[in-house]
Amino acid sequence: MHFWQDAQFGNRMITLMAAVVLVLQIMMVTQRWLITNIRAFALQSFLMACIATTIAYYNNAPHIYAAAVLMLLVKVILLPVLFERLVTRIDILQEIEPLVNAPISVIIAGLLTLLAYVVAESFHRPDEPMGPASLGHNTLAVAIALFLIGFFMMVNRRKALTQVLALLSLENGIFLAAISLTYGMPMIVEIGIFFDVLVGAMVLAILVYRIRETFDSMDVSRLSRLKG
Amino acid sequence: MTIIILLLIPLVACGLTTVMRTRQWMEIVHLASAGASLVAALLLAAEVLRQGPVSSINGFLYADHLSALVALLTAFVYLACAPYAVGYLRRDQALLFLAPSDDDLAALSKQRMYYTLTPLFVFCMFLVVVSNNLGVMWIAIEGTTLASIFLVTFYGRPTSLEAAWKYAMIGGVGLSMALFGTVLTYYSAHLVLGGDSLSALNWSVLVQQAPHFDKAVMRLAFILILLGYGTKAGLAPMHTWKPDAYCEAPVPVAALMATAVLNCAIYGLARFYVLTIRCLGTAFASNLLMLFGLLSVAVAVPFILVQRSSRRLLAYSSIDNGGIMVLGLGFGGAFGALAMLLHMTYHSVTKPLLFFTVGNIQQHTGSDSLRKGARGLIHVLPISAPMFLLGALAVTGTPPFSMFQSEFMVLRAGFMGQHVGVSVLLIICVVTIFCGFFHHVAQLVLGPPSGAEREPIDRWKTYPVIGLALLVIVMGFLMPASLYQLVDGAARVLAVPQ
Repeated sequence: MHFWQDAQFGNRMITLMAAVVLVLQIMMVTQRWLITNIRAFALQSFLMACIATTIAYYNNAPHIYAAAVLMLLVKVILLPVLFERLVTRIDILQEIEPLVNAPISVIIAGLLTLLAYVVAESFHRPDEPMGPASLGHNTLAVAIALFLIGFFMMVNRRKALTQVLALLSLENGIFLAAISLTYGMPMIVEIGIFFDVLVGAMVLAILVYRIRETFDSMDVSRLSRLKG
Repeated sequence: MTIIILLLIPLVACGLTTVMRTRQWMEIVHLASAGASLVAALLLAAEVLRQGPVSSINGFLYADHLSALVALLTAFVYLACAPYAVGYLRRDQALLFLAPSDDDLAALSKQRMYYTLTPLFVFCMFLVVVSNNLGVMWIAIEGTTLASIFLVTFYGRPTSLEAAWKYAMIGGVGLSMALFGTVLTYYSAHLVLGGDSLSALNWSVLVQQAPHFDKAVMRLAFILILLGYGTKAGLAPMHTWKPDAYCEAPVPVAALMATAVLNCAIYGLARFYVLTIRCLGTAFASNLLMLFGLLSVAVAVPFILVQRSSRRLLAYSSIDNGGIMVLGLGFGGAFGALAMLLHMTYHSVTKPLLFFTVGNIQQHTGSDSLRKGARGLIHVLPISAPMFLLGALAVTGTPPFSMFQSEFMVLRAGFMGQHVGVSVLLIICVVTIFCGFFHHVAQLVLGPPSGAEREPIDRWKTYPVIGLALLVIVMGFLMPASLYQLVDGAARVLAVPQ
C-alpha cells in the first residue's frame, strides 16, 4: 500500500490546502496591486479544485471530479485571464486606499476567522460516522471564514474590480462548504451554479469597463448620485 | 407537458428576436409570446385545479397551486407590459433616447436588446416557479438578475450604470447568502435522506422529510435564505438597490421587476418557509418574517413622505407592499397565507397600472419629479393622470379597491395570531403611507391648468392603462371563482398541516 492511499494522508493534505486557501484570502485583504489580487484568487481557486479532486478520490465520488474540472476551467483559467486583460486595457494597476487600513483589516480578518471557528463548532458531531477522508470541522471553518472575509472585502474595497474578486472568493467559500458538508451538490446544480458564476462575472466585467469609460475611474465611491 | 410549453414560449421568442431585422417583426413576436405565455399559464392553472400538482421530466419540473398562481401572475404582467413596451419604445425612439441622432441601426439594436432580454427575463421567472429542485430555483433567481442588469443600463446614462452596479453587487451578495442557505438545507436533509441523487434537493421530496431535518442547521439555513431572497425581494434593510434600479430601467421592465420579480423572490422564501416551519415549528420563522416585514413597511414611510421622484415613490411602495406580504406570511396560519397571496395577486394587477401612467407622464413632461412645478396634469394628460390617481388610491389600500380587502385580511390574521403590537404598528405605517402618497399624487394630478400642451393619444400606451384600470375597478367587486380556488389551494400549500 502506497502512502497516498491512506485516508489519513488525504485528510492532512486537505487541511493543509484549506489553510493555504485561508492565508491567500487574508493576503487579498491587504494586497493593493490588482494583478496580484487576481493571481491570488486564481491560486486560491486552483487549491479549491485540488481539494475537490482529493475528496473525489478518497470518497469515490466521481461527480466531484466534474466540479473540480469546472472550477479549473472557469475560476482558474477563464476568469483570471479575462480580468487581467481588463486590467491592462483600462490601465488601472493599484487599489486606492481602502476604508480600513491594512493592519486593522488583518485584525478584522483574524476576528472573522475566529467567529467562523465558533460557528463551525456547532456543526461538529464527533459521534457520527465519517467518510474515509472526511473533512474535519477545520475545513468548514475555513469555508465560513472565506465567506465572512469576502463580505468584509466587499465593504472595504473601493475599486469595482476588487469588489468583483471579493464576491467570487466569497463564492469559493460556499463551494468549499458545499463539498465539505455534503460531498457536493447534485451534478446539475453544480453545473448551473458555475454557469451563473461565469455569466455573472462577465456581466460585471462589462459593467466595470463601462464604469471606467463613463467615470474615468473604477472607484465605486463615485457612484453616489442616486439618493433618497 | 404544459409546463414545458410555458418555459419554451419565452425562450423561443428570445431566440427569434436575436435574428430579426425589422422592428415590426420583433414587436409581433414579443406580443405573440406574451399572449401565448398567458394562455399556457392559464392552461397550467386549469390543469392544477383539475388534478392537483403536476410534474414533468421525472419530477424535475413540478407545479402545484402556488407555482401555478405565481406563473399566472408573471404571465399576466408580461402580457400587460408587452403592448405598452411597443408604444413606450417607439416614443423613446422618437424622442431620440435610444440613439443620439437619426441613427436607425443603433435604435434598432437597442430595441432588439429589449425584445431579446425581456423574454429571457420572463423565462427565468417561469423557471423559478416550476423547478422542483431548490438548487435549480436558485440558479433561475440568479438568472433573473443577470438577464435584467443590461435592461437597467438600457439608457446608458451614468446614473443607470450606478444603479446597475448596486443592483448587481447587492443582488450578488444576497444571492450568495441564499446559495449558502440552500447548501445548508441540502446538508440538513442529507443527514436524513442520504445519497446525492438529483431528487435530494427536490422540494416535493424535502417537504415530506422536513420534520426529521437537523434543527440547528435548518435554523441557520433559514436565516441565510431570508437574507438572500429578502434582498431579491427588496426587504429592508437590503432594499437600497430597488429605487435606483426602478428609476433607471425602462418603465415596462420596472413594472416587471416591481411585481413579477418580487413575487418570485417571495415565492422562493415561502418554499423554504414551509420546510422551516415543518422542521422547527412556526415561532422561529414567523418572528423573523414579522421583523423584516414590519421593518420594510416602516422604512418605506419616511422615504414616501419626502419623496421627490414619482418612480422612486413607486419603488418605496413596492418595498412597503413586499413587507406587507412577508408580514402576512409571518402572521401564519392558513388565513395569513391566504391574505398574503391575495395581496400578491392584487398588487400584481395594480402596480403595472401605476408604472404605466408614470411612464406616460414622464415621457410627455420629460421628468418624473413630484416637485418642480408639475401641477394640474389632469388637464395635460386627461387619461393617464386620473388613472395614476386611481392606481395610487388602489395601491395604498383605499376601499373599495381590492388591496384594501387583502391588507385588511393581513391585519385580521395578525390580530387572530395575537400579534397585536405588530398589527397596530402596521396600521399606523399604512395610514401614514396613504397620506404621503395621496399628498404627492393629488398635488401632481389635480390643480389649475398649467397651459402645457395636451398629450397626443397613443393607442399602444393608452389601452393597457385603460384595460388595467378597468381590471383594478372590477377586481374590487368581483373575484372569479376559479382564481379564488387557485389562491386558496396555494394558501393550503403554505399552511402548517394540522
